[in-house]
Amino acid sequence: MPLTKARILVPGLDVRAADDEGDAAWLARLGLFAARRWTPRAAVSGADGLWLDLSGGAHLFGGEERMCERILAFCRRLGFSTRIAVAGSAGAAHALARFAAGPLTLCPPGGEAAALAPFPLAALRLDEAVLNIARRLGIERIGELIAMPRAPLQRRFGADLLLRLDQALGRAGEPFDPIVPMEAPAILLRFMEPIATAEAIAEASGEAVRRLMADLARDGLAVRRLVLWCERVDGDVQHIAIGTARPTRDGAHLHRLLSARIETIEPGFGIERMRLVAVRVEPLGPQPIAGALAGEAPPPDLAPLIDRLAMRLGVRRLYRLGAVESDVPERSVHRADPLGETSAWPAWPRPIRLLRPPEPVEGVMMVLPDGAPMRFAWRGRAYRVAAADGPERLYGEWWKRPGEADALRDYFQVEDEEGRRFWLFRRGDGGNPGATGRSWYLHGIFA
Amino acid sequence: MTYTELQAATHFSFLRGVSSAEELFAAASLLGYEALGIADRNSVGGLVKALRAGETTGVRLVAGCRLDLMDGASLLVWPENRAAWSRLTRLLSVGKSRIDRRKGEKGQCFLHWEDVDRWSEGLVAALVPDEADEITERGLAETAAIFGDRSHLALTHRRRPGEAARLHALDAMARRHRSRGLATGDVLYDSPDKRMLQDVVSAIREHVTIDELGFRRERYADRHLKGPAEMARRFAAFPDAIRATADIAERCTFSLRELAYQYPDEIVMSGKTPQDALAMLARSALAAKFPEGPPGDYADLLEHELGLVARWGYAPYFLTVNSIVQFARSQKILCQGRGSAANSVICYLLGITSIDPIFHKLLFERFLSDDRDEPPDIDVDFEHERREEVIQWIYETYGHDHAALTAVVSRYRTRGAVREVGKALGLPEDLTGTLSSQVWGWSNDGVAEKHVAELGLDGKDPRLALTLELSRQLIGTPRHLSQHPGGFVLTRDRLDDLVPIEPATMVDRRIVEWEKDDLEELKIMKVDILGIGMLGCMRRAFDLLSQHKGQRLTLASPEMQEDDPAVYDMICKADTIGVFQIESRAQMSMLPRLRPREFYDIVIQVAIVRPGPIQGNMVHPFLRRREGKERPEYPSRELRDVLEKTLGVPLFQEQAMKVAIVGAGFKPAEADALRRSMATFKSTGGVTHFRDKMISGMIERGYEADFAERTFRQIEGFGSYGFPESHAASFARIAYASSWMKHYHPEIFCAALLNAQPMGFYGVAQLVRDARDHNVKVRPVCINASRWDCTLEASSNPSLEIEGRNLLPLRLGLRMVKGLANDHGARIAAAARDAPFTSVDDVWLRSGVPAATLEKLADADAFHSLGLDRRQALWRVRGLGGTPLPLFAAAEARAEEPAVTLTPMTDGREVVEDYRAVQLTLRGHPLAFLRPALDRRGITPAAGLAALGDGDKVRVAGIVLVRQRPGKGNVTFLTLEDETGIANAIVWQRNFEAQRRIILSAAMAGIKGTLQREGQVIHIIADRLEDLTPMLHEVGAMQFPHRPGPADAARNGGHDPREHPRRAEPALPGPRDGGMRIRSRNFQ
Repeated sequence: MPLTKARILVPGLDVRAADDEGDAAWLARLGLFAARRWTPRAAVSGADGLWLDLSGGAHLFGGEERMCERILAFCRRLGFSTRIAVAGSAGAAHALARFAAGPLTLCPPGGEAAALAPFPLAALRLDEAVLNIARRLGIERIGELIAMPRAPLQRRFGADLLLRLDQALGRAGEPFDPIVPMEAPAILLRFMEPIATAEAIAEASGEAVRRLMADLARDGLAVRRLVLWCERVDGDVQHIAIGTARPTRDGAHLHRLLSARIETIEPGFGIERMRLVAVRVEPLGPQPIAGALAGEAPPPDLAPLIDRLAMRLGVRRLYRLGAVESDVPERSVHRADPLGETSAWPAWPRPIRLLRPPEPVEGVMMVLPDGAPMRFAWRGRAYRVAAADGPERLYGEWWKRPGEADALRDYFQVEDEEGRRFWLFRRGDGGNPGATGRSWYLHGIFA
Repeated sequence: MTYTELQAATHFSFLRGVSSAEELFAAASLLGYEALGIADRNSVGGLVKALRAGETTGVRLVAGCRLDLMDGASLLVWPENRAAWSRLTRLLSVGKSRIDRRKGEKGQCFLHWEDVDRWSEGLVAALVPDEADEITERGLAETAAIFGDRSHLALTHRRRPGEAARLHALDAMARRHRSRGLATGDVLYDSPDKRMLQDVVSAIREHVTIDELGFRRERYADRHLKGPAEMARRFAAFPDAIRATADIAERCTFSLRELAYQYPDEIVMSGKTPQDALAMLARSALAAKFPEGPPGDYADLLEHELGLVARWGYAPYFLTVNSIVQFARSQKILCQGRGSAANSVICYLLGITSIDPIFHKLLFERFLSDDRDEPPDIDVDFEHERREEVIQWIYETYGHDHAALTAVVSRYRTRGAVREVGKALGLPEDLTGTLSSQVWGWSNDGVAEKHVAELGLDGKDPRLALTLELSRQLIGTPRHLSQHPGGFVLTRDRLDDLVPIEPATMVDRRIVEWEKDDLEELKIMKVDILGIGMLGCMRRAFDLLSQHKGQRLTLASPEMQEDDPAVYDMICKADTIGVFQIESRAQMSMLPRLRPREFYDIVIQVAIVRPGPIQGNMVHPFLRRREGKERPEYPSRELRDVLEKTLGVPLFQEQAMKVAIVGAGFKPAEADALRRSMATFKSTGGVTHFRDKMISGMIERGYEADFAERTFRQIEGFGSYGFPESHAASFARIAYASSWMKHYHPEIFCAALLNAQPMGFYGVAQLVRDARDHNVKVRPVCINASRWDCTLEASSNPSLEIEGRNLLPLRLGLRMVKGLANDHGARIAAAARDAPFTSVDDVWLRSGVPAATLEKLADADAFHSLGLDRRQALWRVRGLGGTPLPLFAAAEARAEEPAVTLTPMTDGREVVEDYRAVQLTLRGHPLAFLRPALDRRGITPAAGLAALGDGDKVRVAGIVLVRQRPGKGNVTFLTLEDETGIANAIVWQRNFEAQRRIILSAAMAGIKGTLQREGQVIHIIADRLEDLTPMLHEVGAMQFPHRPGPADAARNGGHDPREHPRRAEPALPGPRDGGMRIRSRNFQ
């Protein structure tokens, strides 16, 4: 049913988009948990199921039935409603889990054919096209299918139907793609003698970084965040963490960043184990070197500098100024990520320094409606204008605030007799004074 | 020397300009301009509107255009004279012809300097510069080289830093190149408060929200129209730039009025003027029609009309229409003319229309009166599916240089405006969707604040309030040009000398930039070539009639002209399923009250059941007067003359205009303007103006204020729906012809209808059922007996003769099988005519169609003549294997196959499968299987309702055929069908909300209510509804393929298929297959 129709049928319907990715991520997490907790062989099955291979493992949990009940209870606590079927073939388990009556079905060994017979063909994991033909031919249940001769079926339905039937009945095998839990790349160093000096720690961590980089290079990964755990003799654990602006495998650079923090480690009676974990990694393949072939020097890479500055100042204090596509001066600049992209600066001259908020000026003399000011007073001092350019007319951004719908400023660049240059504006279009009046402000100073 | 603004864009610079020509000229007039130059981007589409606006306000239009060239340069050009205008239109046509439709390009124009050079003579030009840099220098050098002393450089105050220096540099540059600086305003809107709307359309154009728009906004300030004094002040430093504007305005005096109409040369008789040729054709046709000498009134009228035609020089127009109709006739394509001129005796004699104006006493005053300075109007309807042949013939005969389609300017309506503005302002899509669902699809009033409150939304939210306000402003703004379904412009000279032509979306179609009203304004000739499905149906019916019964008829035959009481008896009984126009529920319920007895009654019937007369509250007075319960009132003799035919109620557009002329003293041109203003957008202001004028005019002439008020309301109700009498007469002619066919040859009529599908108000199931009710024997689709079309079979059994008529059995054709391709069907039918098929293998091998096609036939139960039911046939077909080549091996393999028993289908399932595969069943009605269960629930069959009395409580149930919610939606009509007939139910608004879900979604519904009887019409006023769809699914133990009729509002968008009979869109694949969901427009 199309959404619009549903809306007509149920006025005020609460509509939420399906979160397929989120569901898949949850299922993957659950599968990972199953692979760690319940059985070494687990796999995700479609968008809504998990395979667990119970061969030889169920007795650890008190038998198949007991184990399944525990899994059901576990999922219930997580807020999932779950159905489980245990059978001798993956196909039968798949069908029983989805079509059997209760939440838990245990199929006795060899009982698959009997158990599946009353189910519709849809239980066999068949394409809609195949199911459609079967429906039209009046073959509704798996039992009917089992009773039919195989050759004519093969002819009319292709191999898939019989393969799925055989897989359900355990006559044909099925590939299984188990989940392999992935661990964060890490290096563990044990010391014969506990180490306590900064030099020793630095040297050891350097060794750890070298080994870790070798591992990462093999896997095509690079570091974004690195944590160094130091386990002391007395059981206390100290750690230091560093981050990078860009994925890197530059061991020397990473070691430099780590070394800057080593002094924060309190070695106590000595450190006996050291663990270096790359808690956040990103893929990093070979990178092209710009201009190398042309023999030009590559542009300097700012990332190491930024990492080191960030170490000292804190990530939040490090930014660059970027242009915003806005004509309102107050909104035309923003703080950007140090390595991020920013828009081009507008072509028109803008003062190096903006006053925030603009400061009122007095004693303005001008020619109506849009002449430049001839003199003005700011912070108690009078200025005589020697040269001026303008007006530049800027409108308020009406979509941001209702009050800006009618806002309008006429900006003038003026230079006084001593060569000082200012950015002045007048509110309103210079015609009818209206509600906003014709007040003047100083908004910026040119260098 | 005063300043003239020469660079103003209307909203025909799509999604850049936001003011209409009317608004710009009104502002210009207020500011004291004497002339205003309009220059849209690569378009002259808005110029005719500007011309009209200019004439209304007294500000002269300086026609111009802004050319955006491929290298980024922009050039303003103004033609000095007619010849230069033609060069401009040629230039634009060249640029537009370069678009590549395969890349999805539409509406662009690709021009280079060389093109400009080639067509530059007589054009005055100004380069639109950015900075005074080398790019501008290069462009100006080109401009100066091409245009010489007609070259200018536009100087515009942009209100940015360094503007004085920029203008100074540009002015100096202009001098260097011996060009003149030209002051312009680069105007995008008429008043400063349109700035917000302009920002929004920029966002719409860039497909971003206003927050993301950034520097893609218009960055230069003051884009409204400023007064001459203000401009002179701003350009005080450049007095020559101001003088240059006046010089151009003085120099470019070309007016679009010079594009006087000219008709194509008709090569009829060499050496004769068109007028002589037309007179000769008409007179000889008259002589041929009346071999014993024509009656005096025909001859008199003809001479009178010929005199009028001669005075206005319309003869070539008639000859053109005549040659188109002659071509159609030579190809046996049925056609029928209508329109103001179509009901002249000339058109009747030439065979353009089959309505005899004298025989039917239809003396149309509207045709060619002396004071009507407007080209004649003839629309010709053709068979829907053969219209293309006529169009191709027109292109071949007149050439692509002389024939093109008129444009249709699609404009923002409420829904589109809310959606687009909401998107631009960043409202979530479901919110704008909900907002626009509050209005009818064709509304132009915007979304009212009260709707927002009803939805529980906060109307004070700034973005939401802005959306409502700005979308209201956007309504009526053109968004793009599309092609008119059949309006042809034909000219003697090259068409692109008059108006730019651009390729349309359809292959081989080209459209001019102007729409119908524009062409009318300039008196450029236009013929509407439209398609009507029913004409195709009637042609088929005539063919079948001559083939099987030896009777040769056309629409003009006496049988179709003379009123036959037996046919009217049938119409009075509302037995009109399948008949043109008068088949809808609303029409059918009116028929027993109106009781048509002669041709003009049908004309009225066709016109009266329409939104216009219904909203104007004209139906009931007319019915009362018709039934003699009320005397018609005529406040004056003049109005009596106008309204007597329709008992004092204005039903037709012509009458409305005539009332304004006779009753309120309108000039004919004003009456025409009134008609137009009722039909156009944002009509409120215009109509109010006319309202005052009309009411005061009528009171002056001694009518009572109350009467005047009422009359105006009636006319206002017409709006754009008003139906001209000549159109109604033309439709009534086809309606009568189809009624005649249905009455005398129901089997032929049914076969023709089925072969002409999709068309009309009813689905095939209802059509076949109706035919069977009329004793037609219908035979199922059969692999051996069916052709592609539905056919009539020789009757082997004379006992089939009923009531003295010999009805032939109707064989359903292969075309009824869902999804079957025409060429496959034709191959099968051809092979079957060679020798009957004996097995599934035989069909496969001899017809050579893919097995998938045979599967569809198996689903349709077409193999029953081979003794195979659906499942057995499908089993065989599936066993055919992939390729038919290894013949013997495959045959052997099949021979060895073990036998397989398939479960036979239940009877109910067979019925449901019938519906799925051929949309109808010849077995039992699905409800017949449920009758015992329905009886237990105390449900009365539809046929049993006649025995009940008014006010009885009753329960009925049936498949939901049609749901309609006309007008303001106080009432919903439901049509239910069971095995005995049809029951009509009415749900009042107070019950609707509670039952909404059932009404909208149930395939089968039960209704408990009160029976209401009015004459022969029975309705059930519903108290409670019940969703019985699960019962229906039980019949076949599967989903029932529910297909409401084509007129069903809930499924098909409530588009009454008769509402736009003139539209000839290609058949949509869809509504019937359930594959296409069109949003309902009736349900709010």
